Amino acid sequence: MSKMYVGENIIKVDSKEKVIGKALYPDDLSFEGMLYLKIKRAVHPHAILRKLDISKAEKLPGIVKIITAADIPWVKNFGLIIKDQPVLIGIGQKMRYMGDALAIVIAENKEIASQALRLIEVEVEKLEVISDPIRAIEKDAPPIHNNGNILATHYLEKGNIEKGFAQADLIVDKEYRTSFLDHIPLQVESGLGVFDAKTEVITIWAATQWIHDTQADMAQALGLPKEKIRIIQPAIGGAFGKREDISVHLHLALAAMLTKRPVKLTYTREESMITQSKRHAFIVRAKTGATKTGYLTAWQVEVIGDTGAYASSGPAVVRKGLYHCTGPYNVPNVKGVAYTIYTNNTYAGAMRGFGTTQMAFAYESQMDILAFELGIDPVRFRLQNAYEIGSSTPNQQILNTSVGVKDTIQEAARMANWKEESR
Amino acid sequence: MSTHKLTIEFIINGQKRKIETTPFTRLLDLIRDDLHLTGTKEGCGKGECGACTIIMNHQLVASCLVLAPQADGAEIITIEGLGEKGKLDPIQEAFIETGAVQCGFCTPGMVLAAKKLLEENPHPNIEEIKRGISGNLCRCTGYKKIIEAINLAAKRLTQQLEEEKGKEKNV
Amino acid sequence: MKRFGRGIATIMFGFGYGEGFPDYSVASIEFAEDNKILVRTAAADVGQGVLTVVVQIAAEVLKVSPEVIRIIPGDTHLTKNAGSSSATRQTFFTGNAVKNAAQALLSNIYHYASIEFRSNYAELSVKGGYVFRVDQPNNKISFWELAQKVKEKGEILRAEASFFPRTNKPNPETGRGEKVYVAYTFVTQIAEVEVDTITGNVQVLKIYTAADIGKAINPQNVEGQIEGGAMQGIGMALMEEQVLKDGVTLNANLTDYLIPTAMDMPQFETCLIEKEDSDGPFGAKGIGEPGTIATAPAIANAIFDAIGIRFYDLPITPDKILKALKEQKDKKL
Repeated sequence: MSKMYVGENIIKVDSKEKVIGKALYPDDLSFEGMLYLKIKRAVHPHAILRKLDISKAEKLPGIVKIITAADIPWVKNFGLIIKDQPVLIGIGQKMRYMGDALAIVIAENKEIASQALRLIEVEVEKLEVISDPIRAIEKDAPPIHNNGNILATHYLEKGNIEKGFAQADLIVDKEYRTSFLDHIPLQVESGLGVFDAKTEVITIWAATQWIHDTQADMAQALGLPKEKIRIIQPAIGGAFGKREDISVHLHLALAAMLTKRPVKLTYTREESMITQSKRHAFIVRAKTGATKTGYLTAWQVEVIGDTGAYASSGPAVVRKGLYHCTGPYNVPNVKGVAYTIYTNNTYAGAMRGFGTTQMAFAYESQMDILAFELGIDPVRFRLQNAYEIGSSTPNQQILNTSVGVKDTIQEAARMANWKEESR
Repeated sequence: MSTHKLTIEFIINGQKRKIETTPFTRLLDLIRDDLHLTGTKEGCGKGECGACTIIMNHQLVASCLVLAPQADGAEIITIEGLGEKGKLDPIQEAFIETGAVQCGFCTPGMVLAAKKLLEENPHPNIEEIKRGISGNLCRCTGYKKIIEAINLAAKRLTQQLEEEKGKEKNV
Repeated sequence: MKRFGRGIATIMFGFGYGEGFPDYSVASIEFAEDNKILVRTAAADVGQGVLTVVVQIAAEVLKVSPEVIRIIPGDTHLTKNAGSSSATRQTFFTGNAVKNAAQALLSNIYHYASIEFRSNYAELSVKGGYVFRVDQPNNKISFWELAQKVKEKGEILRAEASFFPRTNKPNPETGRGEKVYVAYTFVTQIAEVEVDTITGNVQVLKIYTAADIGKAINPQNVEGQIEGGAMQGIGMALMEEQVLKDGVTLNANLTDYLIPTAMDMPQFETCLIEKEDSDGPFGAKGIGEPGTIATAPAIANAIFDAIGIRFYDLPITPDKILKALKEQKDKKL
């Protein structure tokens, strides 16, 4: 049936507001009598906080309040999957990366808040900084969290991997590495918080990719019923996974509650890059076997995902990478293991592709190497191994519908005028 | 930090304004906080991203790098100053039509960069358009539709100009 | 010297949370007094255009102009859970929820209108915000008049619906599961590059993309996702890296952490494969993440094609290329 609006290039519903500069992103909002926040961050990537002296900073004219962990003993940790991230680091507690928050400075204006940051005195007991996941899993490495540095291990097994490699005429065994990346949404983290003394509802205007999940995490951290946390979504200046995690939200809520005035917090770009989630750096060891006629027989992977200081979506990201280890190709025998490792790097979470982007670099390099070594055109090699209806994924999910992978290979080759090369 | 105040005068979006500021206030903050023109965005605070782009004295300027007193006597155009009598500027219209807007955070700076480019070079080729917006980062679109928008606007502006010339001749 | 090369990469992406994690979206539709139709959804529009998709789907089902649809967006106290704008899931999940809600509303419009018209629902049709008898097209009532009449009965003309497909939790030892992801999107990209052997600089000349997306609700916006995604892939392949030394970021700014500018933009050629064969709204599948995944390996493969050197770590910076070219030359000597 012909459609009227679906399939048409209807103009974006929010584009007019955006081209005239009237779309309101969080930092564009303001309230009468609003206060400004700045966050005192960790001074070392792995250390125990021994002293936090805010007395000089508090005396600065224009400082309204400085909140430390001692002021909020009822507040619990937060986190998307595991509640392992503290809202503020208290005396005797550990800072685990440079983005950890030590104090919330609340001032009449931004400049005073920034000045006060420099007057806060911090003393720490330094611990070994673990920046390499390989070091993190050595027996004598200090545990970053109580349960050690291996946060999660996931497995994959299909068919018989030994049999698969035995059937192979060619085996390619390589190690791939990808880097930490920042999403760089053009808008940095920003938000406003207002506490209504009558209803005791805290309203937060700040971007999140999932308001109801952020609400739930905030409510459990603050020990409040969910309906006491209201999140209103302003215009969002890009996300790409970076706005899945809590950023300004809890600090705003606490500042609004404790001062009973509207509050605003906007990160600097530097703060955004140091503090908020990253794309995981992956190490992927991939071993792939194929027959000389160019059919895949076995695929084995070992994945190490550096998830940094906190779990965020980390275990799910690394697992999803593992589950996509063969790409869209029929492989009867698959085996894999993936480790999600804590380090003192900036924590890693969701970023466009959720672990499968890193994995694709490994599997599509493997495919290219195999095609080259076998002397088969890379397009033909992919086509003859690609999924079709009835194919089985690494998870042994049988694909019953919508498997257009061969079409994509053929269409791309057609557009690029790809001619088979004999090497 | 000194709390010394001073008064500056300038024209912004065609309106004369007189305002009290400090020697240390960034022009970006003056525009956003004091004049409440929040269409000008801050993406980095270091002149790297172009989100805070304005047109000052006919030049593209990163307003995060300019101190407010430097704007004394200046003529400034921000995104709010584009378009006339409730009608959008052809560049803005083209951005909407071609799908050049995603998150929209780079859009005001990008539109102003395009405005400046087309004033200087009404018939830019693709390479010239790329260069014209190379100081403005966009993380969403891949730039292609932005470039298409600027190309479309250039064609329409030229057409508009020719029509006006035609009318004058007829008169 | 400049050396030309091209490389291909094909990817899959199982979208939605999958893996047995509960994944749903709720949407509702009601009538406003100013002759608008209100859709409530918590789906975050982060720039990808989900709210435009929502409007198009609601307009399609209700046969009204998109201008008639207004959205009450993300507010925990005014909207219900739509899940996250991530996992490439919103078009599929919220799209289906909105489609289901619009269909439920349409059914209710027929139900109440058949009472007004003293007819059976099958004798009715809708167009442009009116419901009418097919045999008497002039005998019509607007949606808003109908809503008022329903209200007078003490009832409300509105509808709420959700989309909540099942997936299975994989076996922890083997990863096996009957349905681990609701569906897969597939993309192939071919990258053409030019490697400058003097500077080590790589210019991506062209990216061809063929994407199996089931159905493009808004083709222009799908292209936008692919082009933007590819650009992020270029960044990942050639320049982006947050450098952390002993836990300290050494390049926390946009001068030292480079992302692609317009000067890095290749030509794009994109083909959307639309077989309308998925369980998404009108057969659509998601494209948010798949747009970025194939780009980096396609470029790495193209660089190999150009200079015969394979790189195993990203990003492939000019430094790395020059070093590898020197090693290649030394080896040959």
